[in-house]
Amino acid sequence: MTIKIASSGKKRVDDAVHELMDTFGCNNMKVMIYFASTRYAPDEISAAMQSAFPETEIFGCSSAGEIAGGRMLKGALVAMAFDMDSILDIKIEVVENLRRKTDVREAFRSFERHFGEAADEMKPSEYLGIVLVDGMSGQEERLMDAVGDRTNVLFIGGSASDDMKFRSTCVYANGRSYGNAAVLALLKPAAPFDLVKTQSVREMGVELVVTRANEGRREIVEFNHRPAAEAYAEALGVSVNELAACFPGHPLGLIIDGEPYIRSPTHISGTSIVFQCSSAQGMPLSLLELTNLIDDTRGALARSKERLGGISGIIVFNCAHRALELEFKKLTEAYGEVFAEFPAIGFNSYGEQLIGHMNQTATMIVFR
Amino acid sequence: MAGKIKRMIERIVSVRAQGNETLERAIRTKLILKGINPATYTEQSDDDPAVIRKLEKMLRDLHHRIGRFS
Repeated sequence: MTIKIASSGKKRVDDAVHELMDTFGCNNMKVMIYFASTRYAPDEISAAMQSAFPETEIFGCSSAGEIAGGRMLKGALVAMAFDMDSILDIKIEVVENLRRKTDVREAFRSFERHFGEAADEMKPSEYLGIVLVDGMSGQEERLMDAVGDRTNVLFIGGSASDDMKFRSTCVYANGRSYGNAAVLALLKPAAPFDLVKTQSVREMGVELVVTRANEGRREIVEFNHRPAAEAYAEALGVSVNELAACFPGHPLGLIIDGEPYIRSPTHISGTSIVFQCSSAQGMPLSLLELTNLIDDTRGALARSKERLGGISGIIVFNCAHRALELEFKKLTEAYGEVFAEFPAIGFNSYGEQLIGHMNQTATMIVFR
Repeated sequence: MAGKIKRMIERIVSVRAQGNETLERAIRTKLILKGINPATYTEQSDDDPAVIRKLEKMLRDLHHRIGRFS
C-alpha cells in the first residue's frame, strides 16, 4: 500500500501542478485528493490537475490554509495520491444546486450501479465516504442528513474554504470547479482505516436548552425560554455587550455519549445568536471552554495508531477556527509537527463533517 | 395517541443496525443530530407530528427493506 503526498507553494497554477507531477512521478496512481488555496483560480486549478493526472480519479476543494509534510501552509496546493493497491475502487459524484434542493438520490443510484450493492447494505468497515462541500452554501446539515438516511457508510470531510475571505468556496471534480455543490466520493480502501473526530474543549457544567430556533438560518432565538444572547451571556457571567468577544473561547456543544458536537457562534443578531451550524429546538447545548489543542490532537492520533497498528496516511479536515486559535497562541508550527511523522495532508475548513456537520473540530481519515 | 415515536425509532434502529452495536450508536447519533433524542421517548410520549414527519422520511428511505410502516 503506497500513499504519497506532495505540495507546492508556487504562485502560478502551471508551476504548482508541475511541482506535484515531479514529486509524484509517473506512478500508477488510482486516486488523488487535493486542497488548493484560492490564489489558484478554481477553473484553472481543477482543469490543470485533471490534465496533469488524466488516468487518476481526482477530486478536491478550495482551502484556507493547508497541511502537508508536517507543516501548516498558506497559499499552497497539497495533494495525496493512492496507488492501485491502496484503493480497490472509487466512484466520485457531484451533487449540485444544494441551496435549491439537497438531493443525493442520483449520486447514490450511481454508487449502487458502480459497486453492485444497495447503499443501505454496504458495510461501513469496507467502504469509506468522503464529502467535500461548498463551505458558503450553508447546506451541510441537510446534505449530511440526506446522506445518513441512505447508508450506514460513514461520510467524513470538510467544508471548502477560501483563505478566510468568506466570499466564494468551491469543490473540484471532473476537471471542473463547482459552487453551491458537494463532491461525494465512495471508496473501497484495501486496508483498514479509522475515522477520527477530535476537538479541544471541556464542559463547564452549564447547559442551555434551545427553546426557539430557526434551523434554516442557523439561528437560535431563545435558550431556556429567554432571549438567546441574554441567556448565553448570563451563563458566562458577562454582559451581552461582552458576549461576542467570548465566542471563540466558549462555543456550545451537543454532547452525545460524552462526545461534543460543537456549534460555534458567529454573531449576535438582535437578541438572537447566529451559529455556523444549526441546532434543533429542544437540544440541550453545553457551555464549553478550550483545552490544549496540541495535546488533544496528538492523543487522538496516538489512539488511532494503536487501534490500527500503524499509519500509512492521514487526511485532515481542520476547522479554520482551530487554525486561528493556533495562530493566536503561536502554536501553528507545533500543530503541523503533530502530523510530521506521517504522510498527511489537510486543509483548514469552514465546517467539518462526520455523521453530521459541526464546527471547531478536526475530522481525520487515518489509513493503516 | 402516545408511544408512536418510540416505536418508529426502535424500528429504524433495528432494521438499519441489524444488531450491530457500533451501527446502533451511529444511528442514534444521527437521530440526536436531527433533533430526535431516542432516550427521551417512551411508550407514554405524545405523538408529536413534527418528529413523526422526520422519522417517516427516514422510514420511506428504508421502505424497500422493511415494507410499509404502520
